[in-house]
Amino acid sequence: MRTSKMTVLPAVRGAASAGRQDELALIGRCREGDLGAFEELYRTHAGRLYSVALRLVGNPADAEDLLQEIFLAAHRKLDTFRGESSLGTWLYRLATNLCLDHLRSRTGRSRHVTDSIDDEPGLFDVATSSLAEQTVTRMDLERALARLPEGCRSAFVLHDVEGLEHREVAEILGVAEGTSKSQVHKARLKLRKMLGSQEKERR
Amino acid sequence: MNCARHTQAIQDQIDGTLGAIRKAELQQHLDQCPACRALLADLQRIRDLAGTLDRPAPPVGVWLQVAGRLRQEGRVQAPPPVERARRSHVALLAIAAGLIVAVGASLMLLVPLLRGDGAQPPAEQAAAGDNAAGGESVQSIEDHFRLAEQHMQTGIAKLEETAKAGETVIDVQTAAMLKKNLELIDQAIAESRAALKAEPQSTVARDSLFNALRRKVALLQDTVALMNEMRKGNAAGAAQVIEGVDKS
Repeated sequence: MRTSKMTVLPAVRGAASAGRQDELALIGRCREGDLGAFEELYRTHAGRLYSVALRLVGNPADAEDLLQEIFLAAHRKLDTFRGESSLGTWLYRLATNLCLDHLRSRTGRSRHVTDSIDDEPGLFDVATSSLAEQTVTRMDLERALARLPEGCRSAFVLHDVEGLEHREVAEILGVAEGTSKSQVHKARLKLRKMLGSQEKERR
Repeated sequence: MNCARHTQAIQDQIDGTLGAIRKAELQQHLDQCPACRALLADLQRIRDLAGTLDRPAPPVGVWLQVAGRLRQEGRVQAPPPVERARRSHVALLAIAAGLIVAVGASLMLLVPLLRGDGAQPPAEQAAAGDNAAGGESVQSIEDHFRLAEQHMQTGIAKLEETAKAGETVIDVQTAAMLKKNLELIDQAIAESRAALKAEPQSTVARDSLFNALRRKVALLQDTVALMNEMRKGNAAGAAQVIEGVDKS
């Protein structure tokens, strides 16, 4: 079982609590206009937010612009941060929303995170072959991931790539936890189908 | 076989949230169903692979842009570079201030001459009169230029030295870039000078020397602008100047 990057284990709860206090103190300094504090916040979170942005929008130039927008928006909205979720989750939500807005404005049509499941691949589309026995590389997965519909791609990136829990993914995407689970599952099935087809082509 | 009944269990198994009883039920099904075994193995493989995907580093310039915008919009306090900086950074700023005065003063005399409109500074006009030869203009420009060049060379050397001592990557890169541009321009100046010496009346050689000198002055101006932005603590402005120098 893989431990979520955002999960707080009981054994480290005390340390996490101290970390939380540090986080709130840092936010306080940012609100007061301390640029050094905001730089610290940037250095802590920019890597994972850029990674999410890049995988959601699919090109480095847009991801770079979005990263800038994410942190400018974060600075503007810090006053609205109530501490109900962790700062990381709050930033992920901000980032994901900006990325999805960007994608929607780019495509000129609105799509919701709960995409229609009409085109959901059957469970056993590639039942006769096992990816585990094949040479599916990370590059193959990156390519296939870029072809996923935006709704299930967001859930998959946040859950399987970034390692968040479904509860956190649901909070970030503003959906029910069950929707997060079904979207991630849908993404995995689609990826399985794409990677399986690719394997067949190689043979 | 009712495979659909086990779909949720397969998902939970991959997510690591399947309880012991349901796990035993699922195992019973898997023992009899190769299709579900293949499905579980494939989805687990995808999940595992996804967790190993690289996290690309964000481009280095983004923070400079963010900080610049925040300052521009007045949303952060005036930058305290000197307070936060290491000793080397303080030294860098002192060099910057010196360069602005020294190089800037020399440039004030040079820039009108090198605009290409034939204008001369008042002192040169008085000395040369209305019939000043092209060669004399070049000579007077070069006299002024040498002074600025000396300051520039000293400044760049100190910049490099200070940047290396402070191990601030961007400063080392900037210094290296300035040095590289300077070397290229110097090469062009040397070649033009040699051509002009061989053929003093050649307008092509004279134009070529003027162009090379103009480029060097532009580089000096960029350096002064960069120093100014650094002195003000404007990282975004500095980045913009560096970008401009890099493209020139």
